[in-house]
Amino acid sequence: MQALAIHKPETVAQAIALHRAGESRYLAGGTDLVPNLRRNIQKAQSLIDITGLAELREIRAESQSLRIGAGVTLEALCGSDAVRAHAPLLAEAAALVAGPTHRVSATVGGNLMQDTRCYFYNQGDWWRTANEFCMKCEGDTCRVAPKSDRCYACYSGDLAPALLALGAEVDIAGPTGNRREPLAALFADDGMRHLKLAPGDLLVSVDVPAQAGWTAGYEKVRIRGAVDFPLAGIAVALKRDGDRIAALRVACTGVNSYPGLVPGLDALAGQKPDDAVFAALDKAVRKEIQPMASTLVAAGYRRRVAAGLTRRLVQRLYEAAA
Amino acid sequence: MKANRSGAGARRPLIDGVDKVTGKAQYTADLPAPNALVGRIFRSPYAHADIVAVDTAEAAALPGVVAIVTGQDCDKPYGILPISQNEFPLARERIRYRGEPVAAVAAVDAETAERALKLIRLKVAERPAYFAAADARREDAVLLHDNKRGNLEREVHNEFGDVAAGFARADLVREQTFRCAEVTHAHMEPHAALATYEPERGHLTLHSVTQVPYYVHLSLARCLDMDPSRIRVVKPFIGGGFGARTETLNFEIVCGLLARAARGTVRLDLTREETFLTHRGRPESDIRIRIGMTREGRLTACEMEMVMRGGAYGGYGIVTILYAGALLNGLYDLPAVKYDGYRVYTNTPPCGAMRGHGTVNARYAFDALMGEMATELGLDPIEVRRRNLLKAPTETINGLRVTSYGLPEALDWVERASGWRERYGKLPKGRGLGIACSHFVSGSAKPVHWSGEPHATVILKLDWDGGIVILTGASEIGQGSSTIMAQCVAEVLGVDWERIRVVASDSLVTPKDNGSYSSRVTYMVGNATIDAAENLKKLLVEAAARKLKTTTEDIECLGEAYRAASSGETLSFKETTVEALVGTGTLTVKGTFTCPEDFQGGKHRGGAVGSTMGFSYAATVVEVSVDEVTGLVTVERAWCALDCGYAINPLSVEGQIQGAVWMGLGQAICEETRYENGLHTAANFLDYRVPSIAESPPIEVGIVESLDPNGPFGAKEASEGPLSSLPAALAEAVRNATGLALRELPLTPERVAGALEERERERRAAARKSAKQPATEGAV
Amino acid sequence: MKRILRIQVNGRWREDAVADNTLLIDYLRGPLQLTGTKQGCDGGECGACTVLVDGKPRLACCTFAASVEGCHVETIESQSQNGRLSPLQQAFHEKLGAQCGFCTPGMIMAAEGLLRRNPRPDEAAIREALGGNLCRCTGYVKIVESVQAACGAEAAA
Repeated sequence: MQALAIHKPETVAQAIALHRAGESRYLAGGTDLVPNLRRNIQKAQSLIDITGLAELREIRAESQSLRIGAGVTLEALCGSDAVRAHAPLLAEAAALVAGPTHRVSATVGGNLMQDTRCYFYNQGDWWRTANEFCMKCEGDTCRVAPKSDRCYACYSGDLAPALLALGAEVDIAGPTGNRREPLAALFADDGMRHLKLAPGDLLVSVDVPAQAGWTAGYEKVRIRGAVDFPLAGIAVALKRDGDRIAALRVACTGVNSYPGLVPGLDALAGQKPDDAVFAALDKAVRKEIQPMASTLVAAGYRRRVAAGLTRRLVQRLYEAAA
Repeated sequence: MKANRSGAGARRPLIDGVDKVTGKAQYTADLPAPNALVGRIFRSPYAHADIVAVDTAEAAALPGVVAIVTGQDCDKPYGILPISQNEFPLARERIRYRGEPVAAVAAVDAETAERALKLIRLKVAERPAYFAAADARREDAVLLHDNKRGNLEREVHNEFGDVAAGFARADLVREQTFRCAEVTHAHMEPHAALATYEPERGHLTLHSVTQVPYYVHLSLARCLDMDPSRIRVVKPFIGGGFGARTETLNFEIVCGLLARAARGTVRLDLTREETFLTHRGRPESDIRIRIGMTREGRLTACEMEMVMRGGAYGGYGIVTILYAGALLNGLYDLPAVKYDGYRVYTNTPPCGAMRGHGTVNARYAFDALMGEMATELGLDPIEVRRRNLLKAPTETINGLRVTSYGLPEALDWVERASGWRERYGKLPKGRGLGIACSHFVSGSAKPVHWSGEPHATVILKLDWDGGIVILTGASEIGQGSSTIMAQCVAEVLGVDWERIRVVASDSLVTPKDNGSYSSRVTYMVGNATIDAAENLKKLLVEAAARKLKTTTEDIECLGEAYRAASSGETLSFKETTVEALVGTGTLTVKGTFTCPEDFQGGKHRGGAVGSTMGFSYAATVVEVSVDEVTGLVTVERAWCALDCGYAINPLSVEGQIQGAVWMGLGQAICEETRYENGLHTAANFLDYRVPSIAESPPIEVGIVESLDPNGPFGAKEASEGPLSSLPAALAEAVRNATGLALRELPLTPERVAGALEERERERRAAARKSAKQPATEGAV
Repeated sequence: MKRILRIQVNGRWREDAVADNTLLIDYLRGPLQLTGTKQGCDGGECGACTVLVDGKPRLACCTFAASVEGCHVETIESQSQNGRLSPLQQAFHEKLGAQCGFCTPGMIMAAEGLLRRNPRPDEAAIREALGGNLCRCTGYVKIVESVQAACGAEAAA
């Protein structure tokens, strides 16, 4: 383990004040960060342990939204009555993250902001040295796409697509002040810098707007029934009006360097879910996603299964909304 | 026999079970050694290269570094088979796979040792490297080992029976190719060793995770050029083996070399990644198989070509490639077999023995194709198997003796338990049932190092305290061998369970044993234990007769007492012991077991491999559902019946069968090792997917007891045989569910979905084509 | 950087000088010699290191000792009291939930965490709660049976 100091602030302001650019990292559940530190693929001279910040652990139902602290654990999220009542999709997605013991310590913020993954990157020192490193860590070539000038490590969080489908916003505190922005604005299409955060920025909470009239679901493809990251994950929120789809949002994970909403679905609103609609949906999903060879499971499969899952999930939710 | 609470047939919890559930059981990495130096291994980043220089000067100069060893420190090659010893604990002159140990450091702490590794400079001249068997076999390929032409470690060409005639009289002949990914043991305990060198006496003690302490002992003596009497090898608690630890592994010798160089104690705990790199698992296999069958479903002939990607060194390779061919026989009545096997050297970590050694992939191809042909002939797959049963006792065409054969009963059991007759072919879309059978040896009849000694030797010690100590070299690795031995003693002597203790695998005190491999322990060491217990009983009976002033024939052994039948007088066990020790002191008795020569296989070259005194027989049914969108195969339930001869411990037998069934499922649906330019891409538990409890199915077990004439109380092995049936049973269930015969393991979602899509494309293409055809062609 | 770590381990408060970068697993296995907690992987993949922190399962290999300062840590060594095996230990022993035993401490601690929040779990709940604990010997069948036996939810057999 790298030599490092651990700080344990009691308030968000203290946490931010302790942060030193290039040296510090925030530490919450540690299920993503600690293995990366052990493998020397993420580095830190100081860790700011934010698990003691009470203000990050609140789940509060407000008049038009549900506010979830970034420090809420996934276990707590799954068990929260407010979440189950207001945004059951989040509990559904959270329950599929890693294994149950991970979920006891893993947090909403940590899951959202987890590092991107790639089998050329999530390896020990010897392996990466033997492979002459990669762009994301100590090297200059992306091993997934050697000719590219960007990194194609894959985003694999399960909560992000669910929150995107629900239209969530995030509150971020930082050295230069606080801001609220749509969750989608947090992510960038870059395996190395997939989070648009300034040094010291700390995710404080997510805000999930009221979901009247929507039904939503999450489907994750993985080989084992626990532990595995998604090979593809699809969240869908859908509003039905009679025999028509009134509104539709689809968000993906495990298939790009960022979790994203599938654009261009507005055109499907107001239509009956017939073959043409599903064909258009299929096309839109395939256009949005670009899985690369960052996992041992082939990119082509992940792309096809993402489209197939979307169709099945939309169909299921449409029927359930009857 | 089952009446005895602790004897043969009793559902005894493991004799060392309490230590395991309390956390007191000490595995190698748990052994206290407060001032031990920390060892680390420098591994090659190159796949195939000549070593120009290993410069350790800078590393040696780092404060806190106590010793560094390289290939220069050991010029004796080692290897489990005397005929293929071509591996050095630290590479000399040539490196043959990425991850091969090149140097090792002992330092005062882990941080220093790791810093030292970064200061070692390795200069090489690279050679072309081959990661696929086909590439290594190309005519222009550079040789990995100069004496092995074509990069072939061994070619096997055997033909038994009249194969041409067999195919000629078949009504149906089918040929297919199958491919199996490389898999590995993934025992939960990472590799570890702890070595102490006493410079004053020139003695070395090694604690290690081995299944074969004796072979480790031999290799240490050889590679460290030491008299074996100066070496002690101890096996503490072991966190699983499954064959990974059935040969000496490089880190064990490296630890010894480091301790000697450092003149002290060195702890060498490998990471999970290093444990994967050490490997010795089941090789990637390419199989071409041809089977002939009559329209009634009788097998007439089989022809198989098997190519194994063996990795960089010999290891058990020759045995593996021979096993695959030899055990085509011994399961069904198969009148003619031609087998061509090729074990290929490649620049990947060496393969070795893994549960079901050599037989699993061959059995997959055989039973899967057998099932496909049954369907083609309109026959029930269980019925086809019934039509090809052996009749024990018999000898197979390749000289294997079958003395007990419970496969018919095993088939009956799984047919009944799975509701086969009511459900096969009647399940809803996407759901299916599959069946396959398998077998395995109960100990290889010929040991690896033939020395003329018995196959097994056990010592029992009985002292004034009345405690019976079983001294055995057999490695308890979690399979329950120590418990089985204690039950053998309890059965023969009838004594209280608490009286019996087992001391296992410490070369200082326990007799030599060949170790835990080829499922030999219950059969061979069990028989030796019974022999020892009988010998001890004889002494106790004599003592009781002396004391009670009667004849030995008059003495009855009641377990905790000895009685003279004529007078009714009894002596307690304690009193009998006291009498037995008079004039002689502590009793130590020996028991042995020797496998008669006529069980040691056919006379052809390699004919000893596959020979045994007793085969276990398994029949397995698997039920799956297949998700047509994701291609995910879910195993709903599995049923396995095993003829283990006799269940000395039914609880343990169930556990072994369930574990084997599940490990076979893992290979069939999700486990796979792949290399990227020779670099292991799945050296962790996220990418090497050992199934989790979440998707693992209920497994129902049936025990068939055929009472083997030579097994201990009739017992045979119970742990390897069931595994080999799983891949074929699973693939058959998927075929039953989808109509698709998938012939490449593992059946991951990607492969299944790919095959479903391919079929859809073909259907669409066919529909388009037929739409374009003129209608008249329909008459053809 | 070192700190004096105040922590309760298996019911006993301790104060130890511990470097900030010390993982909980290394603190337990090293200075405390509580080697029942196992390391089976290179970080967070196998569950062998599962301990309880304030009554909940936690991966000791992904947790800094400094992060659990002031907390109550329970390891496998705390399960048996006064020479009596805990119900889970008894059941894992008698039902052969432990074969090689290496995953067993983590498995029992994860199961203990489950039983504290759900004393009568059904089979699905057991399989759910142990999803992060790999075992290579048993095929999990007897592990499920062991947990069922420990909470008296065994099928009448």
